[in-house]
Amino acid sequence: MSRFTTVLAVAAIAVAFWYIFNWLQPPKPPQLDPNAWWGPIELKGREDISIRPFEIKFEKKVIDDLKYRLKNHRPFAPPLEGVTFEYGFNTAALEPWLKYWAEEYKFADREKFFNQFPHFKTSIKGLDIHFIRVKPQVSAGVQTLPLLLLHGWPGSVREFYEAIPLLTSQNSGYDFAFEVIVPSLPGYGFSDAAVRPGLSLPYVADIFRILMKRLGHDKFYIQGGDWGAAIASAMVTLFPEDVLGHHSNSAVTQHPHALLRTLLGALIPSLIVEDHLAERMYPLSKHLAYLLEEFGYFHLQATKPDTVGVSLTDSPSGLLAYILEKFAVWTRKEHKFKSDGGLGFRFSKEKLIDNLMVYWITNSITSSMRFYSENMSNKFREMNLEAFTSPVPTWALQARDELVYQPPAVLRAKYPNLLNVTVLDDGGHFLALELPEVFAEDVFKAVHAFKKWRSTHSKTDH
Amino acid sequence: MGGLFRLVVASCLTIELLASQNTEPAYKLDPNAWWGPECTKYHNDTSIRPFEIVFHDKMIADLRYRLNNHRKPVPPLEGIGFEYGFNSNILDGWLQYWAEEYPFKEREIFLNKYPQYVTNIQGLDIHFIKYRQKAYAHQEIVPLLILHGWPGSVREFYETIPHLTSVNKSRDFAVEVIAPTLPGFGYSDAAVRPGLGMHEIAVVFSNLMKRLGYKKYYVQGGDWGAFIGSSIATSFPNEVLGYHTNLGLSLTQKALSLTLFGSLFPSPVVDPALADRTDLLSGHIRDAMITEFGYMHIQATKPDTLGIAMTDSPGGLLAYFLQLISTGTRSYFLNLEDGGIDKYYTRDQLLDNIMMYWAPNSITTSFRIYAESLNRRTLALGISEIPTPVPTITIHASDEIAYQSPLLLRTKFTNLLYTTNIDTGGHFLALEMPILFANDVLNAIAEFRNWHAKGGHGNGELLPNNNG
Repeated sequence: MSRFTTVLAVAAIAVAFWYIFNWLQPPKPPQLDPNAWWGPIELKGREDISIRPFEIKFEKKVIDDLKYRLKNHRPFAPPLEGVTFEYGFNTAALEPWLKYWAEEYKFADREKFFNQFPHFKTSIKGLDIHFIRVKPQVSAGVQTLPLLLLHGWPGSVREFYEAIPLLTSQNSGYDFAFEVIVPSLPGYGFSDAAVRPGLSLPYVADIFRILMKRLGHDKFYIQGGDWGAAIASAMVTLFPEDVLGHHSNSAVTQHPHALLRTLLGALIPSLIVEDHLAERMYPLSKHLAYLLEEFGYFHLQATKPDTVGVSLTDSPSGLLAYILEKFAVWTRKEHKFKSDGGLGFRFSKEKLIDNLMVYWITNSITSSMRFYSENMSNKFREMNLEAFTSPVPTWALQARDELVYQPPAVLRAKYPNLLNVTVLDDGGHFLALELPEVFAEDVFKAVHAFKKWRSTHSKTDH
Repeated sequence: MGGLFRLVVASCLTIELLASQNTEPAYKLDPNAWWGPECTKYHNDTSIRPFEIVFHDKMIADLRYRLNNHRKPVPPLEGIGFEYGFNSNILDGWLQYWAEEYPFKEREIFLNKYPQYVTNIQGLDIHFIKYRQKAYAHQEIVPLLILHGWPGSVREFYETIPHLTSVNKSRDFAVEVIAPTLPGFGYSDAAVRPGLGMHEIAVVFSNLMKRLGYKKYYVQGGDWGAFIGSSIATSFPNEVLGYHTNLGLSLTQKALSLTLFGSLFPSPVVDPALADRTDLLSGHIRDAMITEFGYMHIQATKPDTLGIAMTDSPGGLLAYFLQLISTGTRSYFLNLEDGGIDKYYTRDQLLDNIMMYWAPNSITTSFRIYAESLNRRTLALGISEIPTPVPTITIHASDEIAYQSPLLLRTKFTNLLYTTNIDTGGHFLALEMPILFANDVLNAIAEFRNWHAKGGHGNGELLPNNNG
């Protein structure tokens, strides 16, 4: 056996012992602090819980300042010879983006574009939470189902703009369509940021549960990607009775059984993954090396978000490079080896700048990065959310170039009612934005399956 | 669970150590590698040209504008110090000082107080200070190559240089300081092609010393300077008379295994009084590696991305640097709202250092040293595995980022003459404690000279440790 295999075997045995130890002592479910309050103390008991219409505005002052900064950026270091995106965003590819943003991007038109859907705000736990709400235009006899759509980092509600019309209209073959509720995560875009530490995944899950209830949806479906998937996972773990079905395009679990199965699969892959998909997760060393190379931003944001936030708040060029680097290399792994990062592949400049505007005009980059710190804090990790399974019916949509792949055998450790997975030979991390038709179609398919499952598993409330 | 984890990892690495062969690693450094534009290879100017730092009016005006018009970052979370990074409550104060009170012209004069030069080595104009004081006739002038790191610069040595080069009648030597700027930093050119990692930089500096006419010299280094110095001592042992470092680290596999072993059974591995500094897998050292090394991780993988924001925003650059200087100086500064930055340094000192990145616009290229050094290619060179017989002396500050006991250091530095442990001081020791630093270096040089005079045969026997 190779040395690395020995290491894995030892590690697997250790994990097995740990698992047995934990099985003998069933863990207690985490308790959320019912008095959690994320806004100014003065607001407590006096918040405006009405649902207020909201309009996105691109203010002239902000736009003029933005253009000035873009046009007067300092000279950037040229890339090393023969390098594409291996050292990060290649500055030779930067100028066209800055020029586009400063001189070609149609601010007024895009503002209208953003407001094509109705936006609202309502105060929850001290924070004004922004959300889009679109009710479907369908004929009688077509059921309307509530669907919570959750974005991640460095995304925004903008990621769903092409999918929303598809989700809120009649789809042949299905007798339902969706009322979509698309919030900005707290600290992102047009939602307020917490004023004190502690707003981690379970507390955001709680805020969104309250949001859905406030909108009259006692039970609902959830779709999430990136942090959205993690929030969805927290929701189905903490409030399974509220969630009718759970669709994820970034499904990943760190449940101990999942880890154990992954390690065992490193020795005998056929035990846990189909042959033609094994390369999406093995060899472990290759995939861990990939994650190590890609997760510098994660490490930095999980520890010093406020530090790097100063520069990203101040420099739109810096913000653009920092965020677009992810849209480049997380869409196709091989885009790292293109001189333009492959950014023109399926995204127009307009789309990606739209997304950047959400961060820039709200000055929310720093607070968005704090989410990483909160979710890596000891306080959150002690809750051990991953160790709990969820009975909520689950469906995973798995793009070819998503950052992490886990097969059903692994996912079922956390989601025993994983009904199915859709494995794509296409697509990357920002799936809703990249392939909205594929995305929307899969959500319809999944919810249809959820409904069917529910009708035969009526011991849970329907 | 923690103990079980440690046992597993220690066992795995022991298996690893026992199974690995002790073969001669590949040794592929090219002494003539070219780092500048290809076309300059055949018309290379080898002269040594005087150099002066200039803070151009246009640069100052642009800088002031950016500082005075920085976008306000969001306020920090309630009740924290520097736990989420640079606390933006103190940002305005710093930026206002830099824009309105930092005396640019005075500082320019100050930075030029030591004679400086540039000379082209392997395609790169290398900037350096070269300075000594008038010595007595009976004194030998000894060259000391002193190496800074990141986010430092030659500025770190300005307060210690007068003491390092001080002429003391009772000594039989006087020091000439050669303080270069690392390639890609400050006023030194940056490589135009990939591959210039810490071992390649060691070659550049060995060539620099040759250019300056020194066949043998002493080396002092901290941070990257420590790794480069260690590399020079390994690749060019016949050139280095002695190596002094304030970040002594052996990166051999033996040292790693001993570290893990020592985390379970400290006493054979480390002095109990210092055990707390070295316990990698428990408590604050492990946490520090996770909480403090995000910058290293991103710079080693996406330097060019981060460089764009830092090039464009002086406030961003300041926050990034000062946060590192804060926790690098004292770990408890993490819990202070002002990051304790004003405790041991003046604002001018720290801004001088930041200007060495801002004025020559070298932040991105300085980041690249991480990407060029923390990679498989560097590992494959195997230079870190090779022990060096060059006599070595180390000093260990209480709040330095890492500590290794003499047992571990000797897996790399076979002639470790002695180590000094002080219960004060941080990562930027030369800047923070210039006199203590200079004295330790001068004592080290005296010891190295003694060692050579006695025939220079090391049997690895350690002199009694200095603890004070």
